[in-house]
Amino acid sequence: MDGTRGWLAFGVVWVLALVLGFTLLWKYKMQPGDADGAPAAWPTESRIARRPDRATLVLFAHPECPCTRASLAELARLLARFEDRLTADVVFLRPSDVGAAWDGSDLWRTASAMPGVTAVRDDDGVEAVRFRATTSGAAVLYDARGRLLFRGGLTSARGHEGDSAGLQRISSLLRTGQADRSDAPVYGCSLALGARSARASLKEMQ
Amino acid sequence: MTMDDRVDQAAQAIVGRAEERFQAHWMEIVSWTDRLFAKLMVGQWLFAIVIALVVSPYAWEGRVRTVHAHVWFAIFLGGAISVFPIALAVRRAGWVVTRHVIAGAQMLWSALLIHLTGGRIETHFHVFGSLGILAFYRDWTVLATATVVVASEHLIRGLVWPESVYGVANPEWWRFLEHAFWVIFSVVFLAMSCLRALKEMRLMAERGAHIEALSEAEWRRSSVLERVAKVSA
Repeated sequence: MDGTRGWLAFGVVWVLALVLGFTLLWKYKMQPGDADGAPAAWPTESRIARRPDRATLVLFAHPECPCTRASLAELARLLARFEDRLTADVVFLRPSDVGAAWDGSDLWRTASAMPGVTAVRDDDGVEAVRFRATTSGAAVLYDARGRLLFRGGLTSARGHEGDSAGLQRISSLLRTGQADRSDAPVYGCSLALGARSARASLKEMQ
Repeated sequence: MTMDDRVDQAAQAIVGRAEERFQAHWMEIVSWTDRLFAKLMVGQWLFAIVIALVVSPYAWEGRVRTVHAHVWFAIFLGGAISVFPIALAVRRAGWVVTRHVIAGAQMLWSALLIHLTGGRIETHFHVFGSLGILAFYRDWTVLATATVVVASEHLIRGLVWPESVYGVANPEWWRFLEHAFWVIFSVVFLAMSCLRALKEMRLMAERGAHIEALSEAEWRRSSVLERVAKVSA
């Protein structure tokens, strides 16, 4: 293909293919996961320990979700900024039929090594159901008295590090006690195990 | 023909030869750089696939895993970015269109790699590394094309999905200029370097043409016996 017209046609097809490809990529990155409202007060039946002297942030995570790596990076930045006002738990989903295979994941190790963070195992997603978290990367922030301040994600897109609405709102809440909104979209893998699995576990515990 | 006419004619011949030498030298540099970028395009494609497979191989729905969309984007979008510039570099090395297509594609590679690595700040250095390699062309207009492509990508994404670029939903309209500024900062100095390199190449071409002319004049002045001795030596 040496004719200029042939190259021009190739070029037009190329540009159209790239426009389509990048549009799909951006749409994928900006597609939030499902988000239910978190309980307005800290669930008393929860086994996660809440600190009475400072705000507690609980981040729900799928141990194998690559998108959640960015959420952990943002959590680390948040803790570095508010280490005296915030404590965090990263709650990792662990279906009973998966066993310990997910416990040593890269995300588990990262979260365990983060100062100010407690990594918690969530058998069959019981805690996720209690806090109504359905997407990996979903965070809930409660004040020292157990009142919900914020629910949502810490990243601006799927698996994307950097500033985000969620991060800004949490920072504002911790700094001034106010924010323009108390939620943000969550980007990440689904935590859904099938509703029966977690609800059955909840019933057994009750 | 007077002596002055002969001098003018000789000067024009030297100028013409200098231009020929300059164009040949530049074409050699441009074609070599085209081929270099063809290899780089293949390398980036493979690198992107490896990155996707290592960093985000699977997406999960509870306990069910599927191949992560990043893997498909690395294979197909990465392939799409590379295929046209590679074809041009192989079939039309040295063509002005080739280097501008390569410049645009290289900036799109930066965008794709930034996405595949989760927006890591370190991957943004790919933009500046690429500008440095594009300066190998010694053609400042190629750098301008790269700047327009990277600024347009930011502008469009900033308008449609502002959070993915700036982290906030309602950024000021001029925020993309802040990002583009550092690219322009780098491009201005690289463009200066390109212009200076071209000037030096022209000077070298003129000197070469002069030396050629002097050698030819000496050849003409020499006796037949001297020429035979030079050729056999």
